[in-house]
Amino acid sequence: MAKEEVIVQKVLEKAPYAEGKVKRERRIEFKVPADRIREFLMIMKENNFESMMQITVVDWLKDGEFELVYQLWSYTYAVHAFVKTRIPRDLDKARMPTVKDIYPVAETYERDAHDFYGVYFEGNEKMEMPWILDDAEQGLFPHRKDFDWLGYTKRKYKILDRFDEDKDNYVI
Amino acid sequence: MVDWRLFEPLFNYARKKSLWIVAFCTGCGGIEMPPLMTSRYDLERFGMMPNPAPRMADLFLITGYVTPKTLKRIIITYELQPDPKYVLAHGSCPLNGGIYWDSYNAIKHLDRYIPVDVAIAGCMPRPEAVMDGIKKIMEMIENGTADGWKRYKENYEWYKKNQDELFGEGWREKEARRWIPWLKKK
Repeated sequence: MAKEEVIVQKVLEKAPYAEGKVKRERRIEFKVPADRIREFLMIMKENNFESMMQITVVDWLKDGEFELVYQLWSYTYAVHAFVKTRIPRDLDKARMPTVKDIYPVAETYERDAHDFYGVYFEGNEKMEMPWILDDAEQGLFPHRKDFDWLGYTKRKYKILDRFDEDKDNYVI
Repeated sequence: MVDWRLFEPLFNYARKKSLWIVAFCTGCGGIEMPPLMTSRYDLERFGMMPNPAPRMADLFLITGYVTPKTLKRIIITYELQPDPKYVLAHGSCPLNGGIYWDSYNAIKHLDRYIPVDVAIAGCMPRPEAVMDGIKKIMEMIENGTADGWKRYKENYEWYKKNQDELFGEGWREKEARRWIPWLKKK
């Protein structure tokens, strides 16, 4: 049996609420309900997934959901694990417990997710601090799919785009 | 009493031959600087060298796209430079946004915020193109047409209006209070 399948079986024995599968060589994937992400990541850390590489947010606009992908890397097995969880994408409901006490680096990635998508991580006290975005975009969450990207750009920089250009005010 | 304007051609010749660059690389064009500075293209034969202090520099290279956050630093650095100062913009992003034409976080026209003397087209311009731009700016310095710093003084209201429109009034004080340790509010 391949090492990936052994890892998935070992994790799923301890966490029966999760779904897990092997995607391909050195890639495994788990789906976890959002309220149990902390205990699941603790199990993952016990199973030699020492480092967190990224927290990715995927905006599924039609489903009305954010998919949070916690990407973990195991130096012991050289395996990359995706831990996926789904939360509603409304601003007041997009809340997650923080995992920064399990993986300290998560603090930064949670601030990233909050800046660009508006996911609020409860327990991360740096959530309100300004991070990458400038003051003008603070609180607009520009990477959400329903953000009017082009309209905002045109308003901010007072430009026309290549579709409504005119001869007097030629831009591109 | 000496009329120093008589010596202006001599000064311009000297300025042309000793352009010091602010070591302030924005965007992707910063990676074109190492080959320019090192043995292959060897910019120092023109008397140019990168300098970490804006107080001692003449030439400001805007190497690539400029975000509003960087633009604040660029404006402050530009105003710190002593007076004959020249700006050379690399690539299409400072001209019209380039591939970031629809991005909320890249400014579209750099010459609305600070004066640009020479702009090099391309994405990214090769080191040869940058050297061509530098040659151009040397010619312009010698015949006195590189007058961006004079335009900045004359049209300061216009530049300031554009800057304030983008950043909001009082952005200098706000940024200073946010980042300079002895001005920080406890």
